[in-house]
Amino acid sequence: MKKMRQSWKGVMSPRVRFNNQMHYLPFDRTVNMEFGYWSDNYETWSFFADNGIKNEKQADDFFSFEPPESVGGHYWLNPGFQYQVLSETNDKIISINSDGLINEAPKDGHSTIPRCIKSSVETPDDWKKVKKEKFLRDDPVRKPDVGALTAKFPADRDFPVGVNVGSMIGKTRDLLTLEGLSYAVADYPGMVEDMVETQCALVEDYLDAVLPHVQFDFASGWEDICCKNGPLISMDFFINAVVPRYKRIGEKLRSYGIDIWYTDCDGDVRPLLPYFLESGINCLFPYEVNSCAHPAELLGEYGKELRIMGGFDKMKMIEGKESIKKYMESIVPIVERGGYIPFCDHRCPPDVTAENYLYYLDLKKEMFGWIK
Amino acid sequence: MGILEEISLLLQNGKAKQVKELVSQALDEGVSAEEILQKGLLAGMDIIGEKFSKNEVYVPEVLVAARAMNWGAEVLKPHLADSGFKSKGRACVGTVKGDLHDIGKNLVKMMLEGKGFEVIDLGVDVPAEAFISAAAEHNCQIIACSALLTTTMGAMKEVVDAAKRSGIRDKVKILVGGAPINKEFCESIGADIYTSDAASAANEAVEALTSLVS
Repeated sequence: MKKMRQSWKGVMSPRVRFNNQMHYLPFDRTVNMEFGYWSDNYETWSFFADNGIKNEKQADDFFSFEPPESVGGHYWLNPGFQYQVLSETNDKIISINSDGLINEAPKDGHSTIPRCIKSSVETPDDWKKVKKEKFLRDDPVRKPDVGALTAKFPADRDFPVGVNVGSMIGKTRDLLTLEGLSYAVADYPGMVEDMVETQCALVEDYLDAVLPHVQFDFASGWEDICCKNGPLISMDFFINAVVPRYKRIGEKLRSYGIDIWYTDCDGDVRPLLPYFLESGINCLFPYEVNSCAHPAELLGEYGKELRIMGGFDKMKMIEGKESIKKYMESIVPIVERGGYIPFCDHRCPPDVTAENYLYYLDLKKEMFGWIK
Repeated sequence: MGILEEISLLLQNGKAKQVKELVSQALDEGVSAEEILQKGLLAGMDIIGEKFSKNEVYVPEVLVAARAMNWGAEVLKPHLADSGFKSKGRACVGTVKGDLHDIGKNLVKMMLEGKGFEVIDLGVDVPAEAFISAAAEHNCQIIACSALLTTTMGAMKEVVDAAKRSGIRDKVKILVGGAPINKEFCESIGADIYTSDAASAANEAVEALTSLVS
């Protein structure tokens, strides 16, 4: 495969660059990374289609991106529910997915979020059964191969590696659905807290096994527990049941020198942010602008306590070159300050033209590929 | 605290079972179904809607409050029908063609019902023509379209255009919302109302009824 863009030059190793950029220390240029694309882009953007680029990994190679890698354990259902098509119409498929959700999705495969019809877990009895069958702590699949990890990630490596610490509430939402989670917190708060505790214990088991042996640069997680109107979880429950588990994980991470922890959470995260920071989650990824605010606003409010990855407004990329340039100029101060790695705020949608996307990438290099 | 105030408060706290019980009790005590609806259930949803607009509560609180309202309203339904109660207005809601994500649409539906609207829920992936035929069939004053994706928001213009073609454009107000939508987009496609949250959408829908009447 011929690369579309070559690696940016640099005078630091990727590991030093990432750590310095995230710790507000001098760095030679920004980390060059993107978050990925909608599946439609692989068909509609000619440079992907003509070069056989079909997934994010291939796209990263094609553009010579350098996203930091994360490794983690198996913290979720094992085995998952069996995927099964339950019914079909001319244009829709209703199926049960590995989380046990019955979903409706378009048959033509166009990019959209499926509509969830029903969850397999609604009551404490449902949960009791699923927990007993699918969340066993001593399941061999949950035991990390520490030898392989230390061989792959030696302490003197020159690239950054993160440890994935899963999800405390986002996956619970996946299991119950948004409506189901909201009703369950009201009707069966003990059940939901046990779900959070179960995942926390699995993450702790993994961390206890790997942290003494592998030197990680950061921790990563996933929640997706906000929308444009704020949190998708009761604040009381979040503060009283989720935050204490974050704190337990945060303590373990800090005791091994891991002081950068990002969580993937779209939407308006501002109500949760003080609690994230209090727990040790100090970086937002892939920070979404439209449902929240310009990244400079939050970085201004929270100072060097907070880091952001992402935050390049995709709507500006849709609008065209003039908007892209203007937005790029607006992030100059925060890129220069450190603690901020710019890339498209979530997966780049197909209504960004291929030409505008390349313009964006080249402009980013021109403005932030400096070597000082 | 009076029983209606208690219903409102329990609804705000999402206590569906207790709301249902108290609605029955209020009926037994001779309170009219319409009074229970207006001063108990809808009053409670009004407060939740206002708090939601001010970011004092979030989607989960709205969902559990709306569930409580629905449980209470189920008890009231036969009594309201007997009394000849009429809804404040009619709205049809749906996600536009190509879009299956319905949380925003469901929130708008709940908030409209909380304002006393009768809502015709067209579901997801709704073609422009289906919005128009439903609005015409049910005499809806409001068409509310939801889109989550930048790639599907364009279908909202098709709804506006279809309303013009069918001759009902001046009889309905078209409300648009969803993550990628903003006021500029709303204006650019010739829709009438954009709000950033479901509660404000319901308030604007009530306002729109006034302008349609006048």
